[in-house]
Amino acid sequence: MSDGGSPAMGDNGSPAVGDGGLPASVEALRRVREDPHRLGHRPHGPREVVAGAGHGATGPANKRVIVGYGFWIFLLSDIIVFSCFFAAFAVQRGATAGGPAVAQIVDLNRVAFETAALLLSSYTCMLSFAATDARNRLWTQLFLLATGVLGLGFLLLELQEFAELAGQGITPQRSGMLTSFFGLVGLHGVHVAAGLLWLATMMAQVQLKGFRPEIIHRLMCFNLFWHALDIVWIGIFTIVYLMGSGA
Amino acid sequence: MSNLGSDPHRHTDMLDGREDHAPGDEPEESAGHWVRNANLGLGFSVVLTVGAFLLAASDVIYPPAIPVALIVLAIAQMGVHLVFFLHITTGPDNANNVLALAFGILVVFLIVIGSIWIMDHLDQNMMPMEQMMRMQR
Amino acid sequence: MLGKLGLSAIPFSEPIPLITSIIVILVALGVLGLITAKGWWPYLWREWITSVDHKRIGIMYCLLGVVMLIRGFADAIMMRTHQAMAIDAPGYLPPEHYNQIFTAHGTIMILFGAMPLVLGFMNFLVPLQLGVRDVAFPTFNSVGFWLTASGALLVNISLFVGEFARTGWLPYPPLSETTYTPGVGVDYYLWAVQISGVGTLITGINIVTTVLKMRCRGMSYLRMPVFCWTSLASCLLIVAAFPVLTATLAMLTLDRYLDFHYFTHTAGGNPMMFVNLVWAWGHPEVYILVLPAFGIFSEIFSTFSGKPLFGYRSMVAATLFICVVSLMVWLHHFFTMGAGAAVNTFFGISSSIIAVGTGVKVYNWIFTMYGGRVRFEVPMLWSMGFIFTFVIGGLTGVLLAVPPADFLVHNSMFLVAHFHNVIVGGVVFAIFAGMEFWFPKAFGFRLHEGWGKAAFWCAFIGFWVTFTPFYVLGLLGMTRRLQHINFPEWSPWLYLSVVGIAILILGVIAQVMQLVVSIRDRERLRDVTGDLWDGRSLEWATPSPPPFFNFAVLPDVEGEEAYWGIKLRAVETQQLAPEPDYRPIEMPVNSPVGICTAFFAAVFGFAMVWYIWWLAIVALVAAFAGFVVFAWRDVHEFEVPVREVARVDRARRAAREALLERMSRHGALP
Repeated sequence: MSDGGSPAMGDNGSPAVGDGGLPASVEALRRVREDPHRLGHRPHGPREVVAGAGHGATGPANKRVIVGYGFWIFLLSDIIVFSCFFAAFAVQRGATAGGPAVAQIVDLNRVAFETAALLLSSYTCMLSFAATDARNRLWTQLFLLATGVLGLGFLLLELQEFAELAGQGITPQRSGMLTSFFGLVGLHGVHVAAGLLWLATMMAQVQLKGFRPEIIHRLMCFNLFWHALDIVWIGIFTIVYLMGSGA
Repeated sequence: MSNLGSDPHRHTDMLDGREDHAPGDEPEESAGHWVRNANLGLGFSVVLTVGAFLLAASDVIYPPAIPVALIVLAIAQMGVHLVFFLHITTGPDNANNVLALAFGILVVFLIVIGSIWIMDHLDQNMMPMEQMMRMQR
Repeated sequence: MLGKLGLSAIPFSEPIPLITSIIVILVALGVLGLITAKGWWPYLWREWITSVDHKRIGIMYCLLGVVMLIRGFADAIMMRTHQAMAIDAPGYLPPEHYNQIFTAHGTIMILFGAMPLVLGFMNFLVPLQLGVRDVAFPTFNSVGFWLTASGALLVNISLFVGEFARTGWLPYPPLSETTYTPGVGVDYYLWAVQISGVGTLITGINIVTTVLKMRCRGMSYLRMPVFCWTSLASCLLIVAAFPVLTATLAMLTLDRYLDFHYFTHTAGGNPMMFVNLVWAWGHPEVYILVLPAFGIFSEIFSTFSGKPLFGYRSMVAATLFICVVSLMVWLHHFFTMGAGAAVNTFFGISSSIIAVGTGVKVYNWIFTMYGGRVRFEVPMLWSMGFIFTFVIGGLTGVLLAVPPADFLVHNSMFLVAHFHNVIVGGVVFAIFAGMEFWFPKAFGFRLHEGWGKAAFWCAFIGFWVTFTPFYVLGLLGMTRRLQHINFPEWSPWLYLSVVGIAILILGVIAQVMQLVVSIRDRERLRDVTGDLWDGRSLEWATPSPPPFFNFAVLPDVEGEEAYWGIKLRAVETQQLAPEPDYRPIEMPVNSPVGICTAFFAAVFGFAMVWYIWWLAIVALVAAFAGFVVFAWRDVHEFEVPVREVARVDRARRAAREALLERMSRHGALP
């Protein structure tokens, strides 16, 4: 906006002068001199210079830490989204409106396979990041591929479940309980699908661009994302499926 | 493979001694440490998951206690994931990560427990919705 | 092909929206034409639209917020005048239009007026005050801003294509379900708020990461200016609460688009769950707005009293206390909806004790002024007006936190008076105070003082004349959002409130005049020192306006009030610190990814509102493709050469030396 006015000083640019004609900063300095131990005044302003008194604040962190932390905060916010869907399920799990109850739509065998697929994919994801850490492109890609295949398997099992239920007329439109069931499980499925899209993009990036710092940062974020989805799935299979099957 | 350890941001920025720690990251460790962590995480997870599934299907313990036991197992498994897969530890370089996590857990609990408590109370003190609708017809 | 969209969407039969939209379209076309004729597009594109500079983004946020404040204020004028004319008379707004106006007023003022302004201040100030060069994720910052702008755009499109929601600013079901609101109004609301909510979340994550991970050397937590603390607390609340809004609106969207039963009153849905979840966002939201406002006032009180902030640590503690407790009070928005004694008691008590944290702050501000050399400049006037207004609003809030009292005035004009008292008195006054205070920092010249004082007095008096009658009306039993009024005995108060809004209009005119006059006289009002208010935190160490890299060399902080310490040392030794060893600086390159993503998001939202499925899919694919292209770029940063860094910083040092010389000429030093 300003095109840099002249550095010369006009008297009009001096609003800091108080009624006594002194800028407050000068006044404060005088007070500090007159009261070196600041008995009349808490020592907020000038203070002894203590080297390294930054309490750990040693300047901006490096990019890797910043990216990891920012993504960590994002994951927490994502988990809060899930918590609302969990809350909705908890509130509506009895609202069957004459339709099927939770125990009637739960198939523990399929859930066991889904859980195994997702847990193993978390493991391979971790191994892929170990390979990334060693800058080994082949193993990184192989483990990422394994992660993707397992994730896809999970997604297909879930789709099969939804299709089977829909075939029996059990759809989210049937009752409040089914709405919150499909909403919660479906939201997790959407996350897994988005993760797979991201995974494919990352594999292409690793192949074409190699282990640049920003790509390693993204792989680290993907790793976090995938583990977080597994953590959410622990909540889902426990609260929706296992506790539902007994109810 | 050839550019092993060549991430320029990796060690050069750590001259200040104490360095923060990104979640999911273990900057000072070798690949062997990663794999050991992954194996341990997988092992614990499998034990806890299988335990949960067996528990739900059987009546080994007093049946009304099963939901509580399942939730305990789930929380334990989430802890395993956090420690072994996400590398959230109690070290000082992890303080910010843990604090953020604690804040997130607090919010999750407030929303879930708060919603259940509030909605339960509304049902206690209001006529059930269906009945009210029937009266309005 | 076009879904539900047809010519009938244009409100030909309603003269008010039709004429307004024609005027808005003409003005917009005029502005675009002017930009094209003057050839400003390349400059705008390069320096603003694709900019990832936190200061530019902050300024654009504030610009968006100011425009939306004026839009929301127009709605307010219509509501006041309509109610005054609707006493045993039809008034001039038909019910369906009046309902859209109060809905739009609330939505726009909170989500598209106050939020962008608050986020704009955070964006502009936090990196400067922390002594760093940018926020943690500069490009995402741009994405966040443009998404918020897309949301605002969608709300305003609804003015002339279709309609806006008529449900109130929080679309309570079952009214907002398809059964009772089949039109596109609620859909506009849902997609606009959803898109801008994502933008807000991005900015929240950004500021949290910036404050926690990107402070300059020596800037420990307890040396951060209070504004940084309140920004951190506010952004933590954004991270905690906005996902709740996203989830809740997603559920309502599923209900409306796919016949789900989250909040329907049939088939096991539960409308109360919406109320519960939306306030779990809504209450933290008001603290998201007011905490940064507290930070702004803290900076102003301390600067204009010439004293360090009284009770800095208690201020920090109170901020964090409010941050956590504000997550536990949401039920006080629906005390009357049938909860039992235990629940109401818990939330009544938690709502009352949150006032303790705010009380600590108020005393700290008063004691900061006590014994100080208070300068009654315009920012200080706003701040003192704030204390008076906000304390009254807070006290009526404590009254409303008592469930039995709340039962009597729930949803009445008393409530309307209360929340305007805290939001106008707290947030809006802070925004105007902050604008007066930091405008010179952002643009290099100060605002005209006379018009500023006129604006303050008009706003302050106008506010009280408008809203005090609401307290009376509420106690007389008038409920909010009335389109038609059958009680002539309310009329004196409603007329008085129209007088108040007229005074407020004068205030708005004074604000606009202040801007116009200041731009005209900018050479006379130029701030050449960069420290015109005798400031205390690091933003005043930079020239006005700051260079795009903020600091030639990142500062090394050695105490609280970082810049104050540097300044005192300079005054004491009668010289600046020795010239540093300049080095080249790496700065992030500009990126069009923000505006592209936001464009596709706006198209996606519009397509979803009108059920144009193919367009929605195209927009989503395009947004993803845009991100992939962005992820593929090779150049992330460019280098500012040493020569440029040295040139800019030497000019700053010359100005500082002149300032130092002038200060010593005043002969203060013994």
